[in-house]
This record gives sequence, structure tokens and C-alpha cells, in this order.
Amino acid sequence: MDSLPYYLQTVLNGVLAGCIYALFAMGLTLIYGVLNFVNFAHGELIMWGAYFLFLAISEPFALPLYAAIPVALVITALLGAAMDFAVFRPLRQANRLTLLIAAIGLSFFLRNAAQLFWGAEVQTYGFEIRQGYQWFGLYLTPQQLAIIVISVICIIGVYLLFFKSRMGKSMRALADNLDLARISGIHTERTILSAWVISSLLAGVGGILLALDTNLNPEMGVTNLIKAFAATLIGGVGNIWGALAGGIIIGLAENIAVLFISPGYKDAVAFVIMVLILLVRPYVVIGERRD
Amino acid sequence: MDLLLHLSIVIAIYSIFALSLNIEVGYTGLFNFGHVAFFAIGAYTSALLTLQGVPFSLSMIAGIGFAGAAGFLIGIPSLKLQGDYFGIATLGFAEIVRMILQNQVAWTKGPMGLPGITRPELFSWRFDTLPEYLVLALGAAILTFLVIGFLTLSPFGRVLKAIRDDETAAAILGKNAFACKMKSFVIGSLFAGLAGVLWAHYITFISPGDFTLTETILVLLIVVLGGKGTLLGPVVGAVVLIFFQESLRFLRLPPEWSSILGPLQQMVFGLILVLLMIFRPEGLIREKGKEKIDRD
Repeated sequence: MDSLPYYLQTVLNGVLAGCIYALFAMGLTLIYGVLNFVNFAHGELIMWGAYFLFLAISEPFALPLYAAIPVALVITALLGAAMDFAVFRPLRQANRLTLLIAAIGLSFFLRNAAQLFWGAEVQTYGFEIRQGYQWFGLYLTPQQLAIIVISVICIIGVYLLFFKSRMGKSMRALADNLDLARISGIHTERTILSAWVISSLLAGVGGILLALDTNLNPEMGVTNLIKAFAATLIGGVGNIWGALAGGIIIGLAENIAVLFISPGYKDAVAFVIMVLILLVRPYVVIGERRD
Repeated sequence: MDLLLHLSIVIAIYSIFALSLNIEVGYTGLFNFGHVAFFAIGAYTSALLTLQGVPFSLSMIAGIGFAGAAGFLIGIPSLKLQGDYFGIATLGFAEIVRMILQNQVAWTKGPMGLPGITRPELFSWRFDTLPEYLVLALGAAILTFLVIGFLTLSPFGRVLKAIRDDETAAAILGKNAFACKMKSFVIGSLFAGLAGVLWAHYITFISPGDFTLTETILVLLIVVLGGKGTLLGPVVGAVVLIFFQESLRFLRLPPEWSSILGPLQQMVFGLILVLLMIFRPEGLIREKGKEKIDRD
């Protein structure tokens, strides 16, 4: 066990998990940048995204995977847009406490709705486990290969959209200064809506990939919200590339830590990292604030 | 009659819990989304000590003290954070506490929980039956109400509100915002610990599953529904919500409904929270001096 390939495998698994966390963190940081609040219901988009795919491939519909994934993602994006329309748009001018309590109430509502439909038990997509590929003593299953490929595609997509498109330019302008952006003739509500759609899509893709690699349960939202948040803190809040780096660091740290501590505490690693960052470099966070 | 006594005891305990959250959320503007952690620390500390034969008077003080100490320690890194970040930090802390309760089987018996917690004995008084326990819980609730009322009406309470409304302005006037927030957070944690101690010795069986986000949401809803930043709000909220929640248990619904009713009830709680924020963010009782629509 204690050989070089074993440690390399741990690193590989860490990077894989990190790619998924990066997708969550980029979505979270995107909404933070545009609307200037932490969306506590982001975890529920992750969880519902994974469950929408579960719904689409299981009995009454039983869609094939290539059809089910787009359907699940479209519904997740609609859920994100609906969240904004029903809850956050009426609260656009409200103070932060009001907004946060509404977000945590919404997250609780969605989480229990999932539990009502699917129960609290752990579910899986039920795909057969295939023989992994093997290179230099490292194992990589087809699912894991898919995680890498899809994450990279998403990250490139976010880059193109954010830095090369007109919509991305509007979003960055909004993140910089909402009033100034509005005066310059940027359609703010449309830009905010597209930010929600992109954030939900990233959450949905990440949730599906995570569920492919592990399993589904209604609790997965909260745990991953904390990880995504820790990742955004590492990278500097509102910074897309920082979120990517932060996600990978969290994934690596978790998988390496499990070599030394009980796996029961795996989900605590992200929190410990978060506290350490806050103790050592609190200005990482405070410096980024624009209150 | 027993039902009424039971309801009164639970309302008294949750009033303490909600009053302790209100000093943080309502008066100081700290978004504590992990308040249940301090409730759990109080409950487990006192339960574990009394199960080892420590008298209740000591175990209660230990439970309250541990909760306050935990608040102080977690406050050092997290109180430097603004609003939302503090919310996530406390949310994460509550998850860690639950993980420790679940995984440190050697200390806490893990998911099996702690059965057979004794009813308390204080200064040779035994609080065994429901009416006796009600006296204890009510006494503690009144004490909490008086202490928190005294604190929030004092100049210290006005400083807290000033920090909530404009931290920079309070700092310019020479108030040490970090120290005041820390005091508020530790006081809140101490009283949450007291509520936890009373809860453990009333229910006599606790397990990690009792201390989840659900409890945080319930107590947050109590504060917000009653009226945050008011003295009576948390008590009113506790009466309304606990009555609603506990009476469902006594309807004797068929057991097979429980897998549906549980999540459904939580969904209703989440929905009320969202609707309150959109339509009446100030809750049932409005804070004096606040405009009808509180806009930034």
C-alpha cells in the first residue's frame, strides 16, 4: 500500500474531487460577484441537479443518458432562475440579513422537498461499475475520465463566456459597480438572470458528476456548500480563477488528509482549512469586500 | 394536562434558546447559522458529566461554560468576518460539532446517543415530575429574560445596535466593535448552552441527530417570526411555533405518515421563513424606532 503509486493515486483522486468543487465554487463566486451575497441555496442547486438526472433516467421516463443529462441541466437552470424570480428579485433592495435568512429558508425548503420525494436514503444512478484504465499503476475509471474532461470543458466555457463575450463583460461591469453599469445602459436584470443560469448549470454539472462518482442524498447540498465556500475563500472571493485553484486545493487536502485521519472527518477538512486561512490571512476576505 | 405541562416546558427551553440567538442576530446583526452547536455542547457536556456521577449543579455550570468557551474560540477567527462569511463559518462549525458527536464514539457513544440522563437535583431539590421541571425551566427562562433584557436595555445594548446598523460609525465613535461582538457572541453561546443543559435533562435521551440544521432553522424562525431585536419577540415566536410543532406530535397520526409529515413540516418552516422575509421582515413584533420598511 505505502508505495509511490498509492500516493499518486491519492493525488489523482484529490484533483478529480477538486475539479468538481471548482465547478461549485465558480458558480457561488459568480452570484457573489454580481449580486454581492452568498447564495446559501447554492448547495440545493447541486443536490437538485443530481436528483433531476436521477428522475430522468429512472422509471416513468427512463431516458437514455445522452438525452437525460441535457434535460436535467435545463431543469436545474430553470430552478435557479425561478429561485431568483420568486425570492431574490423581490428582495433586491432588502438589507443583507433579510436576504440571507430568505436564502437559508429557501435552501431548507428545497432540501426537505427532495427528502419528501426521494427519502433520506442514499441513492445511486445504478450504472454498472466498469473496469478502470490503468497507467503506470494508476487507476482511472471511465466516470473519472468523464469528470476531468467535462470539468475542463466547463472551465474553458466559463473563461470564454466571462472574458470573451459581451454578456461576460456586462457581468464583470455589474460586479464592479451596479449603478455605474446601469447608467452605461447595461440591461441589469437580464445580466443577473444569465448569471443565475450559468451558476445553476455549473452547480448541476458538478452535482451530476459528484453523484456519478459517489452517490446522491439530500444532505449533499450543505456539505458541498461549505466546501465551495472554503474554495472561494482560498482563491479570493469573486475571483473565478481563484475559485478554480481553491477547489483543487480543497480536493487534494481532503484526499491527502484521509491518509492520516478517520474518513468520518473527511468533510471537516474544508472547514479546518477555512478557519486556518481566516486566522492567518483575514485580509484575503476583508480586502475583497465592497460593502 | 400532561400535554400542557410538556408544551410549557418545551416553550420555556426554546424561549431561552431563542433569546440567546436574538442577542446575536437581532441586536448585534451577527448571522449565526450554527447556533445549535452551542445548544449541543451544553446538552452533551452536562449529560456526559451527570452520567459519570457528577452532581447537576456542577455539570450545568460545565455545560454552560463549555458552550461559552466554544463561542469564544470560534469567535476569534470568525468574528473578523463580515455578514455572510460569518454565517457560513458558523454553519460549518455546527456541522463539525455534529461530526464529532457522531464519530468520537469513545467519548459520546456516537450515533447510539446517550440514554438514561437523570432528572436534575439542585440544592437538595429534585426536579423529577413535569410540574417540578416546569418550575426549573420557567425559573431559568425568567432569569434569562431578565439578564438579556437588562443587557440589551443598558448602554451596552445600544452599542450592539449601533454596531449592527453601522459598524464603521460605531468604531469612529470609539467603540471596540470586535470586543462588543465577541461579548454578544459569548453571551449568546452561554445561554444556548443553558438551554441545551435543560433540554438534555428534560428529554433524558440525546443523540447527534437531535442537533442538526433543522434545530437552527427552528430557532431562527422563532426569532424572526416573533420579531428580531425585540425583547418579547423570541418568547412570542417560541409560543406560536412550539405549539404548532408539538401539537402535531399529539394528533396521533398513523405512523406511516411520519416519513411524509416530517419533511413537509420542515418545508413549511422554510417557506414561512422566505415569505416572512419578503412580506414582513420585522416579524410579529416590530422593533421600536425602526421604519416600516427597513431598507439599506
